[in-house]
Amino acid sequence: MGPVYVLTLRQLFSRWRLLIMTALAAFPVLIAFVMLHDGTAPSVGEFESVVLEGMLAGAIIPLVVLAIAGAAFANEVEDRTLANLTLSPIPRWQIVVPKLLASITIAAPFIALSAFLTSHVGFVGDARAVAAVTAAALAAVALYSSAFLWLGLLTTHAVAVGLGYIVLWEGIFSRFVGGVRLFSIRHHSIALMHALDERRFAAASHVGSTAAIVAAVVVFSAFVLLAIRRLRRMDVP
Amino acid sequence: MSGAAAPAPVIRVDGVSRWFGDVVAVSDVTFDVMPGITGMLGPNGAGKTTLLRMITGLADVSTGTITVFGEPVRDNPPLYRRIGVMSEHETVYGFMTGREFVRTMGKLRRVEKLDDAVDRAIEFVDLADAQHRPMGTYSRGMRQRMRLAATLVHDPELLILDEPLNGADPRQRVHFQRLLEHLAAEGRTIVISSHILEEVEQLADTVLLIINGKLAASGGFRAIRAALNERPYHVRVICDAPRKLASAVVTLESVEAVNVDPDGAVVVLSRNVRDLQVELPRLAQAGSIRLRRVEPLDDSLESVFGYLVER
Repeated sequence: MGPVYVLTLRQLFSRWRLLIMTALAAFPVLIAFVMLHDGTAPSVGEFESVVLEGMLAGAIIPLVVLAIAGAAFANEVEDRTLANLTLSPIPRWQIVVPKLLASITIAAPFIALSAFLTSHVGFVGDARAVAAVTAAALAAVALYSSAFLWLGLLTTHAVAVGLGYIVLWEGIFSRFVGGVRLFSIRHHSIALMHALDERRFAAASHVGSTAAIVAAVVVFSAFVLLAIRRLRRMDVP
Repeated sequence: MSGAAAPAPVIRVDGVSRWFGDVVAVSDVTFDVMPGITGMLGPNGAGKTTLLRMITGLADVSTGTITVFGEPVRDNPPLYRRIGVMSEHETVYGFMTGREFVRTMGKLRRVEKLDDAVDRAIEFVDLADAQHRPMGTYSRGMRQRMRLAATLVHDPELLILDEPLNGADPRQRVHFQRLLEHLAAEGRTIVISSHILEEVEQLADTVLLIINGKLAASGGFRAIRAALNERPYHVRVICDAPRKLASAVVTLESVEAVNVDPDGAVVVLSRNVRDLQVELPRLAQAGSIRLRRVEPLDDSLESVFGYLVER
């Protein structure tokens, strides 16, 4: 285990952060349970649109990851401990990548469990659909982590800017302007979910699995490279 | 016939400026730093920290070049094997024990035989007894010493310390100064910044005076001190016979001008304050004048620096 990875884990583990993440992760599971037991069970399309795409992919995953990955660098910039890392004789990618892995390590179990239980309740144990939802949720964790990690280096207001991105860009603009979706992580993670189980999500317009995976890899790599470039060029407080 | 080549400077700062929008923080500064202790002296806000941040590669220059050990320092991580930096901010992780902090810094700096190096660094700052306590429970002086241990754990040739004695009590100050003298005696290059004249005087072989982002003066401390002693001083004297004292003081060679304020205070402008210190009591005694108060009017560090810049 590298020192940056261990240090970041210790920095990000706080009781309050874990409590908030647990509450957020439990929310879609509860909603799915309530929806299916109130006597007017929704259609698969409704469940997918409201719970999976709206709540899980549209709010819970980005919010949980923002709380973790957004703080990974932003907190170090704010309390001026980042210099401890950048004054070390290690390449900048060896700072960015462990921080990214630590963010994913913390956020992924919460999101994976939430996605697994929500889809298990909603699809009544359809293993392939549950696997597609869980895998797409994990991919979304990786994608959002890379984006919010970079954001934490870009501004000390990473949480506010991240919320703006989640609510305005992904929540509103991407719904009405087709081209915006190309720059929406939520869109890429949903496309991946569709691609991983074309049978279950056949009604949805989706891209092929190869295209979805390639798009996800491109987005992830782009943000990691941007974070490394930013760390090399920024003035470290 | 060939003369011995001059040793290469450890740090070379050449025509460096840095501005933030319209604000010029550092303006066209050029100097070299050689082995030994170099003190960077200047009032708060003079640009010392910005300059040190550029020297350590934490901040970029707007114009000019900086090299350390002959290499550009910016975006050159391998160079940090040879440099130890202690910033002015107390950049510690409160959840770590002192030993964990030093060990983490050692790991980051790829130190071999890490446990030995950590033991050595902690013993050097005399904090072996407190090494297993969380740093959040340390006093400020202890935190500074443990930060010094973390700065030294990879045995750097160059130490850059930004206001390391800030907030230390007199006992901690003396201890810290002894540590730095010991490190310098081992042949290291140490750059230490401070806004306190006496602090730098006690430690540094060479002084860089920074004011308003410019290098006001540089050289040995004696030369700087001599320049300071030559500057004109205003001294305010309260006594029971101001006009009598004024007419006596004006005869002194070191005195350039004497005024009697409407409130009865005598204001003396002197170029040799030591001479005035000796002569003033003598004149008062000879004239049976009772001195009530003698105070310098412009002895703040800022006025000293201001004088040097305007020369």
